[in-house]
Amino acid sequence: MSTPTQTESANRTTLARLRDLWNDYLPYWFMAPMVLVMVMITFFPGAYDLYLSLIAEPTFNVFEAEFVGLSNFETAFTRGGAFHSFVITITVVVSALALETALGFVLAALVAGVDSGRMKGFYRVLFIIPMAVAPVSLATIGRIMLNSEIGVIPYVIETATPFAAPAFLSDVPLLTVILLDTWNWTPFMFIIFYAGLSSVPDTLVEASRVDGAPLWRRYVHVIIPYMKPVVFVATLIRLIDLFRTFGVVYGLTNGGPGTATQLVSINIYEQMFINNQLGVAAAIAIVYLVLVVALCNIIIAKVGFEGVWD
Amino acid sequence: MATSDEEAAIGSQRLDKETRETLVRVARHTILLGWSFVVLFPLYWLVSMSLKPPGQANSLPPDWIFLPTVYNYIQLVQQSDFVAAFANSVLMVSASVVIVLLIGVPAAYVLSRYDIPKERDVLVWILSSRMLPPIAVVIPFFVIFRALNLFDTRIGMVLMYVSINLSLVVWVMKAFFDGIPETLEEAARVDGATQFQGFRKVVLPAAKPGIFSVAIISFIFAWIELLFGLVLTSFEAVPVTLFVYSFIGSRSIEWSMLAAASTAMIVPVVVFLIAVNKYLAAGLSFGVVIKE
Repeated sequence: MSTPTQTESANRTTLARLRDLWNDYLPYWFMAPMVLVMVMITFFPGAYDLYLSLIAEPTFNVFEAEFVGLSNFETAFTRGGAFHSFVITITVVVSALALETALGFVLAALVAGVDSGRMKGFYRVLFIIPMAVAPVSLATIGRIMLNSEIGVIPYVIETATPFAAPAFLSDVPLLTVILLDTWNWTPFMFIIFYAGLSSVPDTLVEASRVDGAPLWRRYVHVIIPYMKPVVFVATLIRLIDLFRTFGVVYGLTNGGPGTATQLVSINIYEQMFINNQLGVAAAIAIVYLVLVVALCNIIIAKVGFEGVWD
Repeated sequence: MATSDEEAAIGSQRLDKETRETLVRVARHTILLGWSFVVLFPLYWLVSMSLKPPGQANSLPPDWIFLPTVYNYIQLVQQSDFVAAFANSVLMVSASVVIVLLIGVPAAYVLSRYDIPKERDVLVWILSSRMLPPIAVVIPFFVIFRALNLFDTRIGMVLMYVSINLSLVVWVMKAFFDGIPETLEEAARVDGATQFQGFRKVVLPAAKPGIFSVAIISFIFAWIELLFGLVLTSFEAVPVTLFVYSFIGSRSIEWSMLAAASTAMIVPVVVFLIAVNKYLAAGLSFGVVIKE
């Protein structure tokens, strides 16, 4: 923020002036492209979904639209199975999030403590790979590996242990979805926690070690508070993503058997592309959006900004 | 709490330091190898399915030992659609990651360092772009893409990929910048660096592990995205996920081809991971600054 003297400013070239413009308004230049893209990708889809949820039939001319009030919302909850799909979704979100957060943190902490650099690198790369498996591919692989008749996993369970293998896809479909998602997305928590753990300064950890603090206390009082923003962000993002789980369920059970795994996103898809009820689909999406935004606001207000952000 | 503390103290007296460290090491590697197995078994099964002749893919009891064949991969590559879709995805996804970092990282820096009015609301608004389920987003974008002639174009798909990842980059990077002490830039400013130089030469290197982590995650999110490709492309800008999906869409699933395509899809991510592994390993962000 050095202010040039009068004589200097008189001799400034255009280039130098531009450079000052760049430096003096840096925060604005840094923010502008992001804001531009955000406006485009948030306002338009939200507004269009709201419009769709309030009309009888989609039409490209807004003025010809026949507004039907909240009847699409009513249909969604009476005949559209919206309530059921919300309950199922919340079950999956809560269990998978708990599993993935705990596993991701423990694995990150364990890998961070490995002495050998080569082994560390090996684990780090290996543990991230499941994330690279597209949910649709995973669902199909899951379908064949878990199949009661030709699947390798039931086969291994029954030949190697005295237990009978459950029929994963028909008896415990929801649990199967949760486990597959955990396999697929624990890497996300792992890598963010790992990077977060790496950002904790050595000196901080050393100091508490010299003080004789036991391992768990070092984590609870020094390491976790330090990386709290990272833990918070990772968990919140995973929470939101879990709410939109689609590919793995679509490929694995397609919402079935019956409606046992009909998550909100699957429900919206069916209303949209199978029942051709764009309005009902949009209504569910709007309720879903309001719910998730409200939930995130509560979480952020309760946890997020108390000493984490400011 | 107190009793378990005492127990721990007594326990630590009984075992000498060396034995305890060995035990910890053994326990650590046992758990890590256990999870490695959980990770590797489905991957092994996928890869082995892709290397078996189609008739042998699902035989039970499983053929643990078999003569690998690249038959499925040859079949796959001979379908020019697959090669084109694969190349499309590599190009579109890489471009989107570069763009999303260029847009998102500076914005995250500002959000971390400056007093933004209604900062909390701004952050929630950014995150809200991720809250609409993709299925609900796809119809509005179908309409707008048609209007702007972006339907079935690579530019359109790059835009969609940027839109998926922008909130992620901003949020994760803001958390990282928050963890980097401001005194670092202040020191640079005292030495005569401009605001931008402070950002580029001091803060960015310190945030490297975060940037590479978020780059990998963004790459993956775009790489595995199915729905946008399904609705917003038809021929020119088809991504590779759609190709995998097409094996499922047909009445009977071609398991071997599906396995080969899925395996091929993992390769770029693994290459990317190994390429940036060093930076992920750089570990202590402060260490990076101090060394330079």
